[in-house]
Amino acid sequence: MDLVLHSVGGLSLDFSTLPQQLVNGLVVGAIYALIALGYTMVYGVLRLINFAHGEVFMLGAYTALLSSWVMGFTPDAISKAFKADHPLTSSPLNLVIMLLVAMAVCAIIGAIIEFFAYRPMRNQSRIAALITAIGVSLFLQYAGQLFLPANPPPSISQEVNPYQKVVSFVLSPAQMNAAGDVIKPQMDITVTVGKIVMLVTVVILMLALTYLVRYTKAGRAMRAASHDFDSASLMGINVNRVVTFTFMLGSALAGAGAMMLATFEGTAMHPFFGLQPGVKAFVAAVLGGIGNIPGAVLGGLLMGLAETLVTWIGFSQYKDAVAFVILILILLVRPGGLLGSNKVEKV
Amino acid sequence: MSLSKILGTRVLSVVLAIAFCFGLDAFVTGQLNEYVVRLVMLAGLYVTLSVSLNLINGITGQFSIGHAAFYMVGAYSAGIVSNAIYKTQPLAAPAYMIISMLIGAVFAAIAGLIVGMPSLRLKGDYLAIVTLGFGEIIRIIVLNQNQWGGSYGYAIAPKYQAGWLIWLLAIICIATCRNLLKSAHGLAFLAVREDEIAAQAMGVNVTKTKVVAFIVGAAFAGAAGALFGHMESFINPDLFKMEVSFLVLTMVVLGGSGSITGSVLAGATLFILPELPRIVSFKMSLGLLLSVLVGIGVLVWMNRKFMEKYHEPDKLKRTLVVAGANIGLAVLAVVVGKLLNNIPQFGTTTYDANKIRYMILAVVLLVIMLLKPTGLLGHHEFSWDWVKRVLNRNKAGEASA
Amino acid sequence: MALLTLKDATIKFGGLTAVNKVSFDIEKGDLFGLIGPNGAGKTTCFNLITGVYEPTSGDIDFLGTRICGMAPNKIAEIGICRTFQNIRLFGTLSALENVMVGAYLRHKTSLLGGFMLTPAVIKETAELRKKAMELLSVVNLTDIAHSRACDLSYGKQRRLEIARAMATDPKLILLDEPAAGMNPQEKDELRDVVFKIRDDYEKTVLLIEHDMKFVMGLCEKIVVLDHGEEIAYGDPSEIRNNPKVIEAYLGEPV
Ligand SMILES: Nc1ncnc2c1ncn2[C@@H]1O[C@H](COP(=O)(O)OP(=O)(O)OP(=O)(O)O)[C@@H](O)[C@H]1O
Ligand SMILES: [Mg+2]
Repeated sequence: MDLVLHSVGGLSLDFSTLPQQLVNGLVVGAIYALIALGYTMVYGVLRLINFAHGEVFMLGAYTALLSSWVMGFTPDAISKAFKADHPLTSSPLNLVIMLLVAMAVCAIIGAIIEFFAYRPMRNQSRIAALITAIGVSLFLQYAGQLFLPANPPPSISQEVNPYQKVVSFVLSPAQMNAAGDVIKPQMDITVTVGKIVMLVTVVILMLALTYLVRYTKAGRAMRAASHDFDSASLMGINVNRVVTFTFMLGSALAGAGAMMLATFEGTAMHPFFGLQPGVKAFVAAVLGGIGNIPGAVLGGLLMGLAETLVTWIGFSQYKDAVAFVILILILLVRPGGLLGSNKVEKV
Repeated sequence: MSLSKILGTRVLSVVLAIAFCFGLDAFVTGQLNEYVVRLVMLAGLYVTLSVSLNLINGITGQFSIGHAAFYMVGAYSAGIVSNAIYKTQPLAAPAYMIISMLIGAVFAAIAGLIVGMPSLRLKGDYLAIVTLGFGEIIRIIVLNQNQWGGSYGYAIAPKYQAGWLIWLLAIICIATCRNLLKSAHGLAFLAVREDEIAAQAMGVNVTKTKVVAFIVGAAFAGAAGALFGHMESFINPDLFKMEVSFLVLTMVVLGGSGSITGSVLAGATLFILPELPRIVSFKMSLGLLLSVLVGIGVLVWMNRKFMEKYHEPDKLKRTLVVAGANIGLAVLAVVVGKLLNNIPQFGTTTYDANKIRYMILAVVLLVIMLLKPTGLLGHHEFSWDWVKRVLNRNKAGEASA
Repeated sequence: MALLTLKDATIKFGGLTAVNKVSFDIEKGDLFGLIGPNGAGKTTCFNLITGVYEPTSGDIDFLGTRICGMAPNKIAEIGICRTFQNIRLFGTLSALENVMVGAYLRHKTSLLGGFMLTPAVIKETAELRKKAMELLSVVNLTDIAHSRACDLSYGKQRRLEIARAMATDPKLILLDEPAAGMNPQEKDELRDVVFKIRDDYEKTVLLIEHDMKFVMGLCEKIVVLDHGEEIAYGDPSEIRNNPKVIEAYLGEPV
């Protein structure tokens, strides 16, 4: 046994892999944060949990895949080129196009869902709207099951993705004893360039979002509507447009997250694959304080870290339950979330 | 009403209920093939599930959407206990089933208590998510228990298909909820649904009411789960996925949340959905499927427009116009679908019932929500008085004509 | 001993002190008025008394027991019930059922019996229904007993709220702006109802009202709040001539 394995309360913890896990957690967390923003903004304006947000995410991943096929990177073409011995490589431009297409298509899908399913429910009870959202989510999942390929080969994939190179940072070199046995393994962090690109993109998108929400007219209208929907409409704000805008914005972010997860992480795609990230991002939004934009980012990062830490201490099979445990705890202890406020109902 | 008359009706209804259950059981097992027997039992189980969820959701207004969790707790707990004690206890299988059902009910009730706790602090959509989350947690935990077979599954002895008991349970569940609504106690539950703060100000013990609703609702679901476990004799966590919860939720919503009659009717029909592929083996071509989906979309849109804009005072005429438009649309959708089939890809790609069953669930849910969010029956209940009134009205109509 | 005593009752919402050191005594049989400009903290006082909020500091005693921090339903049980300024009826229930919910507070059968609909429960339900009908007739709503509460007119809803609160058999009944939105004729009827509640049913009444004519003609003692502070106490003539009150209402005829 090497010395880095510490036994704490029956768990064996390998501290040499901790930094790596934290970095992984950060990356996943950034994606969760991106999706969580969509939940939070919609909830802020409509007080509706957009159950179908995870499915928009799923559709974003498929869109990215299809757009890469359209650009000539079909699995066939790739393997043919590989056999002919001049393998295809995609350029960063291809990836940017995939990102933009995914964002645009998701924005449109979001707007369509809002228009056809949620707008008619505006005057109904919130529960009715929630049930509708569940219905939309189920519909998209099962329609996806009919019409979309399950487990398609990853889009511009490991082989042709220019960002697949890995970089390593050695934190502390391995130590050996006189006999040449390793007594302390090397502690390092290995990341693909893709992961770094992902983090940078997330940061850029969030800065753009902040600018949009803070300093543009549409953003101001959105904040007004989320503060008080009815008054906002009385003050001459076109709330329908605000709602559409909010849905498009949130869905576009989900699309970006989906494209990156599918391309850089090579996560396997299937029509239900929006479910888990969707649920986790929702929990992230609640954790940060639903309706609160910085809260969603914080919550997303915490969720990502929590999940990798659970894997790290050796309970990877409970990874998917963690989200719900956190959710229940936060709702019971601090229902308003970390950065949200606890509002008491006025009587 | 005098005491003796009340007791008389009560005894009569109990006897009738028991006679109905055994009669059904004898008829079904004697006359019909095994699969139909199974369907009849499943119908009973889903009636119990939807009515018990209605108690929590529709009557008390606590938005719980993880009902499959209670069903699962009932099935597994009864199964585990049965495997441990069935061989060493003296009762014969039919009598033992009642014990097993109670075991399932008790464990599920405990789960209901735990899930009900958050409802004291959370409302509406938040509560919904928590109940869903509890369901998933329970499922994931069971999935990781190797001693219970994990994802592979868990065998339960004895296998016993208690059709009579399943329907008795359903009837007891219906009777319990109906009794509640007929008594003043039921008003406390309804008051909590309508306005918690006002209910509390009127002295309703909101905490107790919510917790009782969760416990009773969960207990019935757990009892149903126990019977389901013995009926299948081999269960796995996949049988209790979120889809099951959503199916039961759809039943409650379709029937009209708050209406027990509605839940019964919806439960006794919608349970067919998951079984669909085993009942009918149809294939739908891509062309037809697309045109039907678009057709349903147009149908929703059209009927919403009718509701908004079409004010025809003559009821008969209105009904005829609306029905005519809908039927026309349906025919059109099928015709367009057939035409689309002529396009090569559209005609040859087909989907079977297995693939589209949950899609149907989703579409049903959406169509109800968009056209009639209060469900088919709203808050209405079936009652003999109502039947009498309708009959009398018809007679009066005849007399005047 | 006073029926209800507020001693330095205070509540803060964040930076806002909605009720600041308010003290008054209500004796059994009083017809007590609580007035003040908008946002003065009147409704918040009701919320403190009925347990919706817990005071940040100070005491509220009812019949000699401290009721701060008690659950609202317990407070209803020991005999304080209220109506709401922004009407909170049980919308989809009938008027009769609304009143029955109030009457249900004094039920004696067990919930288990309710699930089994025992003869005792049936009997009790019938009694509660009878009691509720009686109260509906007190507020002149017998004819709409079976209409849904949310379909009633504003004035009727206000009266229904009073009947519902009365049904809990309170010792002290709190009415939050019962005359709001009523026409003069309805107000006259309401005045009779309030007197009936006090004189025939022997309840103590505490009411909030903006209509000065109504309050002055009805209440025997009045407390005036402004910005959460108690600025005056006395009988109607004293209040009418109190310069602080006149200032608070900024020239409104008092
Ligand atoms: N739950 C709460 N959270 C924050 N502030 C509150 C809350 N409840 C009341 N307030 C504030 O306390 C102040 C007093 O409110 P209150 O409703 O008691 O006034 P009021 O005297 O009843 O006025 P009105 O005549 O308009 O009904 C107001 O400024 C109100 O905004
Ligand atoms: Mg007020």
